[in-house]
Amino acid sequence: MRISFQEELDELERMLHAEGELVLRSLRGAVEAVCAQDVELADEVIAFDDDIDTQYFEVEQGIELLLARQTPVASDLRLVLAMLKDNLHLERMGDLCVTIAKLTKLTKGLPPEETLLDGFREMGERAEQMIRVALRSLEQRDRIAAESLLELDELIDRANRRIVNRLLEMGHELEQREWGLRMILVSRCLERIGDHAVDIGEQTAYLVTGEFREFTDASHP
Amino acid sequence: MTVMVERGSTIEPMSLAEIAKEHGDEEVVNREAVFQVNDLAVSYSGNVAIRDVTLSVYRNAVTAFIGPSGCGKSTLIRCFDRMNDLVPGAKVEGDVLYHGKDLYAPDVDPVEVRRRIGMVFQKPNPFPKSIYDNIAFGPRVLGLKGNLDERVEQALQQAALWDEVKDRLKESALGLSGGQQQRLCIARCLAVEPDVILMDEPASALDPISTTRIEDLMHELKREYTIVIVTHNMQQAARVADMTAFFSVEVGADGGRRNGILVEYDKTAKIFTTPADKRTEDYVTGRFG
Repeated sequence: MRISFQEELDELERMLHAEGELVLRSLRGAVEAVCAQDVELADEVIAFDDDIDTQYFEVEQGIELLLARQTPVASDLRLVLAMLKDNLHLERMGDLCVTIAKLTKLTKGLPPEETLLDGFREMGERAEQMIRVALRSLEQRDRIAAESLLELDELIDRANRRIVNRLLEMGHELEQREWGLRMILVSRCLERIGDHAVDIGEQTAYLVTGEFREFTDASHP
Repeated sequence: MTVMVERGSTIEPMSLAEIAKEHGDEEVVNREAVFQVNDLAVSYSGNVAIRDVTLSVYRNAVTAFIGPSGCGKSTLIRCFDRMNDLVPGAKVEGDVLYHGKDLYAPDVDPVEVRRRIGMVFQKPNPFPKSIYDNIAFGPRVLGLKGNLDERVEQALQQAALWDEVKDRLKESALGLSGGQQQRLCIARCLAVEPDVILMDEPASALDPISTTRIEDLMHELKREYTIVIVTHNMQQAARVADMTAFFSVEVGADGGRRNGILVEYDKTAKIFTTPADKRTEDYVTGRFG
């Protein structure tokens, strides 16, 4: 039994989950900022991304060191490769939260549309749930839970489409149009966070089965 | 350049291009089985060393045997050149077919077997003779035709040793470094035009650079020969082998005594990424025992 190797693997996985918790905080902050048009909170979300990036680099370096020194094989190798990709997905989610925060700052003072804000709250909650399911299915090596992300993703996709449809019905006032255009991107960011959660689920399925397959093929829907 | 390969009962030259055409992109497991082992069991004075082995060794591939001490991997490789014949009390049951012919049939000459199937051991064992005579020994004894100097040079070239020793062929082989001695033993093997090279831990007594040379050599030599290697170094198997067999130790059906058994045999990539058997997984990931 390679004790130090197992400890290093466990520590890397723990760090990845900690990164996931940071992303969840950033997501909640970003959604709250956009809904409350809170520019200060948006600035905090932007600054907080440095913490996520630091965690990302530490996981990345830990994986590099582990590959160089321990030469993992079989399920260990699959776990390391899955963590390498999950790490990137979490970091990207953090970046999407920053984009939402920046869009919040750009739309300061523009007139919001309340039903859309409700839509963002719903998407934010769904995205948060998807991240939790993705992290838990990895932790528990639960392929069935990982595959359930596909259904959750369908729900967030529908919410995204509802928001886009609502935006198309909005008035023609210049300020409202500008707000609406920027909000399409916010909706898109939240929807993309859901996609990254699905990708983490795919890595978990790969880890468990040893066979990689996309849950859905975007080019052949 | 031509190499000797067996076709049926006669030996005919076959060009490398022909072999490449025959084997280039072909899946290893679709190639001819040089050895076919069926339900093999080997015992020493009634004690079973290894049992229930059924596998094929494919042509122009490197096949690695891995497993913990006592799993019978060295016993198995010794069946391929009938080295166990030399051990008093050794008994081989089941079939070992070499190109379809029973290696243990009464009319098979073990000396001829060992000419076609060469063996390289863990510890380099050159004869206490000159470098030249080490290589020339086999061809002389067997009375092989052709120019002896050319044969010696070709064998040393193939073993990637020629450039290092061409100016001191008459010097004692014992003056070479460990890594050079091991390549000399490989060259000695090649000089009698074998079909198969068996290697029992060929690099375990060598430093990392010499080990890399031996591994590179295996990669080159498999284009012309079939190679079987026993190794304790799993990463070596992962690096050089096309096929890997994992052996383990189990308490025998008779109770008490521990026997070696074949657990899993598959493409090396499969063994080291998604092994099918939990015991293989535990061994290759270092969680064995």
